[in-house]
Amino acid sequence: MFSRYGKIIIVILVVVVSSLIITWFTNRQPVDFTTHVKPIINQKCITCHGGVKQKAGFSLLFREEALAKTESGKQAIIPGDAANSELIKRLTLNDPEERMPYMHEPLSSQEIDIFRRWINEGAKWGDHWAYVPVKEVEVPQPKAFFNLVSKESEWAQNPIDNFIENKLDENNLKRSLSADRNTLLRRVSLDLIGVQPPDHLAQKFLEGSSEEDYTALVDSLLASPRYGEKWASMWMDLARYADTKGYEKDDGRDIWKYRDWLIKAFNDDKPYVRFLTEQIAGDLLPDATDAELIATAFHRNSMTNDEGGTDNEEFRTSAVIDRVNTTWDATMGTTFGCVQCHSHPYDPFKHAEYYKFYAFFNNSRDEDTQDDYPLLRHYNDTLQQELFKVVDWVEKDSSPEKAKELTTFLKTWQPTYNTAACDSFINSALGDPTWIIFRDNGVCRMKNVNLDNNENLIFRYSGFTDGGTWKIHLDKPDGPVIASAPLGKTGSGGWNWKIEQTDVKPASGVHDLYFTYTNPNLKKDQSGARIDWIYFTDPLPGSEKKGFREVENTFWKLLRANVPTTPVMIENPPYMRRASHVFERGNWMVKGDKVEPGVPGSLNPFPEDAPANRLGLAMWLTSKQNPLTARAMVNRVWEQLFGTGLAETLEDMGSQGIPPTHPELLDWLSYQFMNEYNWSLKKLIRTMVLSATYQQDSKIPDELLEKDPYNKFYARSSRVRLSAEQIRDQALCISGKLNEEMYGPSVYPYQPKGLWLSPYNGRDWITSKGDDQYRRAVYTYWKRSAPYPSMITFDGVARDVCTSRRVRTNTPLQALTILNDSAYIDLARHFAYRMQKEAGDEVKEQVSKGYQLATYHPIDDNSLAALMELYNISYNRFKDDGEKARKLLGGKSNGQDDAKTAALVVVANAMMNLDEVVTRN
Amino acid sequence: MSKKKIHDQRLLKEAQHAMLELNTRRHFLKESAMGLGALAFGSLFGSCGTNTAPSNDIVFDPVHPLMPKFPHFPGRAKSVIYLHMAGAPSQLELFDYKPELVKMDGQDCPKSLLEGKRFAFIRGVPKMMGHQAKFAQHGESRAWISDNMPHLSTIADEISFLKAVSTDQFNHAPAQLMMHTGAPRLGRPSLGSWVTYGLGTENQNLPGFVVLTSGGNNPDAGKSVWGNGFLPSVYQGVQCRSVGDPVLFIKDPDGMDQDIRKASIEAINKVNQEAHGVFNDPEILSRISQYELAYKMQISVPEVMDIKNEPDYIHEMYGTKPGKESFANNVLLARKLVEKGVRFVQLFDWGWDSHGAGSEDALEIGFKNKCRQVDKCITALILDLKQRGLLEETLVVWGGEFGRTPMQENRLGVKMPFKGRDHHSEAFTMWMAGGGIKRGGLYGETDEIGHSAISGKVEPFDIQATILHQLGFDHERFTYPFQGRPFRLTDTRGRVIREIIG
Repeated sequence: MFSRYGKIIIVILVVVVSSLIITWFTNRQPVDFTTHVKPIINQKCITCHGGVKQKAGFSLLFREEALAKTESGKQAIIPGDAANSELIKRLTLNDPEERMPYMHEPLSSQEIDIFRRWINEGAKWGDHWAYVPVKEVEVPQPKAFFNLVSKESEWAQNPIDNFIENKLDENNLKRSLSADRNTLLRRVSLDLIGVQPPDHLAQKFLEGSSEEDYTALVDSLLASPRYGEKWASMWMDLARYADTKGYEKDDGRDIWKYRDWLIKAFNDDKPYVRFLTEQIAGDLLPDATDAELIATAFHRNSMTNDEGGTDNEEFRTSAVIDRVNTTWDATMGTTFGCVQCHSHPYDPFKHAEYYKFYAFFNNSRDEDTQDDYPLLRHYNDTLQQELFKVVDWVEKDSSPEKAKELTTFLKTWQPTYNTAACDSFINSALGDPTWIIFRDNGVCRMKNVNLDNNENLIFRYSGFTDGGTWKIHLDKPDGPVIASAPLGKTGSGGWNWKIEQTDVKPASGVHDLYFTYTNPNLKKDQSGARIDWIYFTDPLPGSEKKGFREVENTFWKLLRANVPTTPVMIENPPYMRRASHVFERGNWMVKGDKVEPGVPGSLNPFPEDAPANRLGLAMWLTSKQNPLTARAMVNRVWEQLFGTGLAETLEDMGSQGIPPTHPELLDWLSYQFMNEYNWSLKKLIRTMVLSATYQQDSKIPDELLEKDPYNKFYARSSRVRLSAEQIRDQALCISGKLNEEMYGPSVYPYQPKGLWLSPYNGRDWITSKGDDQYRRAVYTYWKRSAPYPSMITFDGVARDVCTSRRVRTNTPLQALTILNDSAYIDLARHFAYRMQKEAGDEVKEQVSKGYQLATYHPIDDNSLAALMELYNISYNRFKDDGEKARKLLGGKSNGQDDAKTAALVVVANAMMNLDEVVTRN
Repeated sequence: MSKKKIHDQRLLKEAQHAMLELNTRRHFLKESAMGLGALAFGSLFGSCGTNTAPSNDIVFDPVHPLMPKFPHFPGRAKSVIYLHMAGAPSQLELFDYKPELVKMDGQDCPKSLLEGKRFAFIRGVPKMMGHQAKFAQHGESRAWISDNMPHLSTIADEISFLKAVSTDQFNHAPAQLMMHTGAPRLGRPSLGSWVTYGLGTENQNLPGFVVLTSGGNNPDAGKSVWGNGFLPSVYQGVQCRSVGDPVLFIKDPDGMDQDIRKASIEAINKVNQEAHGVFNDPEILSRISQYELAYKMQISVPEVMDIKNEPDYIHEMYGTKPGKESFANNVLLARKLVEKGVRFVQLFDWGWDSHGAGSEDALEIGFKNKCRQVDKCITALILDLKQRGLLEETLVVWGGEFGRTPMQENRLGVKMPFKGRDHHSEAFTMWMAGGGIKRGGLYGETDEIGHSAISGKVEPFDIQATILHQLGFDHERFTYPFQGRPFRLTDTRGRVIREIIG
């Protein structure tokens, strides 16, 4: 037996030898492409030898390109033979004309050595971390005893903490203690529901002492309807949600039902894959419901250009491109926009692949029309019942297919031909620029119209003068007339639209139609009528049966009903299908090769059983094999809760993005998200906020400030300035004015006059009345060309395009907003009233109460003294000048001494500006 | 410990603290790629008399985002006043004189000018239309200027004209975006944002990038033409107004006087100081200084935005009337702002879209009125800057988003009630003055009817490159990292128009 010392010596020997072995192995580890080679390529080579340029016929973007023969006929990289590889030669030459990188500093000897070893080891290509499917990750355990054995973590609440602790240990950083209950309460509440907690939850938690209290609080917050409102705000930046259409006129758009859909989806914890599928392809789901159609408004948030003289096809194309880029940015955290003009400079996406992806989106029915067609028409319950009657009738007398067709037509007016697609105008033109407008003897052409459904023509028009006749000719302007209809005056001035029908002479196949219009009542150059859209169909069946007249009347009533609408995605029927082409250098007017829908070859394959449309695309996107979808969302959620993403560049997980600080944790969470939580966001969020990492204190010890100023290693909780929405919502809460009403059209809280000045748009901001003033920020009307000012000041984004990340700034304009914006002054008044009401007559008590309400902490003596001094200065001023006091109180007294109340309003206003109030600790 | 040692330690601590403050937030650039640390030191100490050369790369400093910075090389201009006539003024009624076009007046437009072309409103075959103004040559440069600009004609030699500007956008909103953000779609930072990001600003008590609008409407592209795009929002243009608060929320609420406001800022900062004691978060210190700055802005902005105290001769010179919303007032404000160290002043004047559909947009009526509103005050601006010695360091840019057709507009194929011209992207005139631009320069030429550029053609990217160059930037190196790649205002294009640099 060994003596005690002997044992120790043996252990020491084992340790020394094994660490030597480990060191030796580490040194002999093969060069890794992704971590060693690719960064050098991206920094030093790719500009000339990548996706954009392939100087000398050499590119380092894909392995097959890198190993191919270059223009000189030589192979730059010969796997296994660095000595004969042209790449190594060119890196080491002396002649600056020949030596690479051309006319730049040579690579360092270490860098060249990495290339040499890598080639000798076979020039294996590696995939960037984000493009490799997520695999199960082992949870690390803390090491003990010279890193030889693992032990249970004393700190970890769940595996997140193991990953965090592991890195902390590696970096010799000490974690922080858990935050106190008051801090934790406010933090988790602002993070989960975006506002302060309901009183009963707050009280229960603060008074409790059991360890389970926190879990119970988290579960209650996750179940609160406020939760959906908070997380919808995040998604609305990605969805570029706005209440206007953008560009010059920037007219209103009713799309708020999509915002409501988002709130419900988050509250219902709709599985993330379903959440994405409905937004991208809800219309293509079998028997799509109204809600699923509304979800597709996700991609109808792209802008519509109503400026006079614009080309509808140009801006339709532009919207499709926006949808492609948004899909990538929002769901996959990857910049695909670069590939619009050329192959990706750094990442493995080819130019043509952009347009294959584009092809998925290029077949929706929308055409940049002023009315934002297609629209989902929302029938009220009565109309809905009547719709069932008509549908039943058609189903009985014809077929379920016909009944479906009819339902779609009544509910969406689709698939109609928009006259915006007309050309070859004589005495006619596109107005505004969406409708055909005729003068006397007007002619125009509508190309490629399918006449297979052809006994009846339904059309929407408006007539300025009586006496007009519209005729449709087949194939040429004087071809056979297949339909004609009088276009009389509609309403006073003729601006009212009307839907009418006429018979069509049977024809079949696809034809160019020529429209003619004559009206003897018109003077030269005077416009007579407009046509919006046309629709060829069969007459309603069963005309011989009893009850037909009633059904027919109901049909017309439903078709013409003036109902609320929401823009949605509707796929083109096969006969309207658009071909997709590569746009040379991204120019939509220069069309290259024709392409079919497809996904980039460097990611997961397109599922075999998936249709080649948006639904198939959604299946690909939500496949567990897709390496980006889960990671992107986990990273986003982490950023919302911890202040920074695990990979900081939420918008770019590609090879130029900042790599994750804890890649294994990102993958572990992504794996859990997909496989254990079945894509439940609530479960994902719950795991994160129940971690010990999340619950740490946010005070910053000097040592941490020095060693980890950016809190990359999470040795403490981050302190984060509240978002624009949270700042408003919190102010509503602490002043006691929050109106918890959910859903509905956007509202107009106070905004200074004269900010809306869009040309050719007479609309103005009309401040909402009553409690609508006090709705949460998520319901504030969002005008793209003039967003609500305080939102923008606090780093809200314009929502013109998808925005992944708000960069937080700290500016004097932010200070001025909470100090002076009338909306905040109004809330400061109510905050002061609340202090008076809830804290008795002593001013000190009132101020302390206010501080407590705003921060959940008792006020310290110095702070109280500072605020009391402010109170006294103000009170003395107001005591002598009652007029000033009344002005600050908005002309209204609340029955207390005005000078006292006004002084308290000043304090309330100051309190709302405190760092601790605008920051989440 | 000796006094000296304590002092040294304090200094060291201060320097460390400054560094930390500088890096408060997570770095916005990859350190490895850009070498943030070194740069930060460069800009932090570069101005403190050390030997460190000023850095040549522009970096975002989240704590002092508007601190003055060094450009790539010493610029000729310190600030910019950009006068944008939104709607696109007709170069054929102002600067581009074409006798041949006068001869063709009333004739059908040649087919060659129509084939394969897209117009906003012209349909079918329009008629050619001669100038709706009288032209004469002015100054030593013999520049053609019409009688619509009688005042400007007297200072032709202060100006360099670009006679063959061309763009690829022919609708207002996209063309304005092109001119100011380098892309016809939304989402890119505006010129003024780039400049304030790159140079910071001289006067911390005023916004660095100020926007003034007139003509009753915002420009067609809305606030995006002064938006920050992907740059931090601190670089967006701050709209100043001559009616209502000069800057939103700059005025104390009714009933709160300056003393109370001062007391409340002090109270807020005291409590925040306490919070800093607890949390040790440098961000709190930054918030304290932002509140001090806000208070200073509350005093300086209303001061500078008030033109009442300008002497009579200045009001006479500019044609300004205090309290009115007018382009002339904005032009005078622009001078005052630049004088106070504001970096970029952007003016938009709406109402230049002369289609001829009504009297307001008729070349013979509305357009002439617009010219009268701008001619005198712009001339005054140049002369005033000159007499103050500011013209040499202030770049003045004038232009629209595109030009107008040599054909008369026939909207929807119909003869128009008034004389007007359609949008035209192929050739139009812009001019620059001051800021190191050649005096009396002429560059570029259009064909005999003013339709296309035949020499010296420049595009918006070239204008942007030139403006940046005058400020000391190499536009090809002036980038911001976003979505994994360095973005620049001029994208992959742009040429400095050296022909008009003095």
